[in-house]
Amino acid sequence: MKPLATRESEQSRFSRVRMPPGERRLRVLQTTASRDKSAREFVPFAIDVRYGGEWRENDIVGCAYLGNGDLYVKRGDAYRPAAILLGKNVEPVAGVCEAPPPPKA
Amino acid sequence: MASCRTCRTWRPRVVRLGRLGLTFDANLFRGWLVQESVRFLSQLCSTAPIRALPRRMFVVLMLAGALFIASSSLPYFDFENLPPFAIEKLPVRFESLWLASLRIHVAAALVSFPLCLVLMTRTLQRRVAWHRWMGRATGILVLFALVPSGTVLAMDAKGGTIVTAGFLLSAAIVAWFTVRGVQAARRHNLVSHRRAMLHVVGQMSVAVVSRLMLVGFDIAGFDPDLAYVVALWVPVLGSVALVEWLSLRAARSRSFTSQIVIERTGRELSPLALLVRVRSLVRPNIRPGR
Repeated sequence: MKPLATRESEQSRFSRVRMPPGERRLRVLQTTASRDKSAREFVPFAIDVRYGGEWRENDIVGCAYLGNGDLYVKRGDAYRPAAILLGKNVEPVAGVCEAPPPPKA
Repeated sequence: MASCRTCRTWRPRVVRLGRLGLTFDANLFRGWLVQESVRFLSQLCSTAPIRALPRRMFVVLMLAGALFIASSSLPYFDFENLPPFAIEKLPVRFESLWLASLRIHVAAALVSFPLCLVLMTRTLQRRVAWHRWMGRATGILVLFALVPSGTVLAMDAKGGTIVTAGFLLSAAIVAWFTVRGVQAARRHNLVSHRRAMLHVVGQMSVAVVSRLMLVGFDIAGFDPDLAYVVALWVPVLGSVALVEWLSLRAARSRSFTSQIVIERTGRELSPLALLVRVRSLVRPNIRPGR
């Protein structure tokens, strides 16, 4: 969140881009890690933002992989590396941040 | 023009000026000059700069706004990274088309808006050839780059249907009045041309005004989504209303014919030349003795 805040502080306010929020907070959505289709462990998170006195939940939704520290954020229906928030043009990555459905009994 | 044996027969002395076909009676001119020039100069000195002040302030403010927008638009042309506006919008349908439209729209606006402002100045309006060629270039840029790219961007506008509708309305106004303005200019109807082009400039000024409003709303702590909608629709509709009011006020204050004369002379002649009675622009005279 710090690099994101730094980048937002450097951008011009005379723009149609959404103004930087007054505050952000991170929520970890699970206390235990999940495994994706590749058996890698990840933890989903959500970032809330505050404008004025109101908090908006789930402004950014994504997951953090425990093994290598990779961060992914959801854009639309797909997950992209978190570097997209810093302006990197990265493609969606399939199969991340999604735990496979449990096997039917 | 009475004549008698004891008094000299009065005959008009007609003097022709230059290639504009202006004529004036030298006999009348002496007496008229003192009276009219003093009155006119006093009016010119006291009211003309004041009357021109709002227009000049508007041009200066918009030029400053355009410069600010230009400086903040540089990230749009970093082809290795995504601009913040694009990050915010993702995902969009037809991403490549949207990104290309964004860059075309920004580039076209950065050129056409200052051109429109410069075209509003009397300095350029007196230089007819310059005004025409710059106007043609600006019109082509607006109709074939700015409006189409803006229409593509409007389809995926932040804020949903209501914001899309606002941007599309603004694009329609710009396109309609650009065409109408060109048609009016070709008919030498400068009054209609002025009204049409004021609409175009008014809509382009939404770019500056809405950004100012967004900054103000942010400082006031307004909900950003609502602020975005208000900061679009208020300037769009407000510009239309303001231009129509200005046009209506001008039409009510003067007759249509004199309005054409004043508009044309204001563009073509410097104020000093207005000291000369522009008879031939108003009506032709058949002068006795010829």
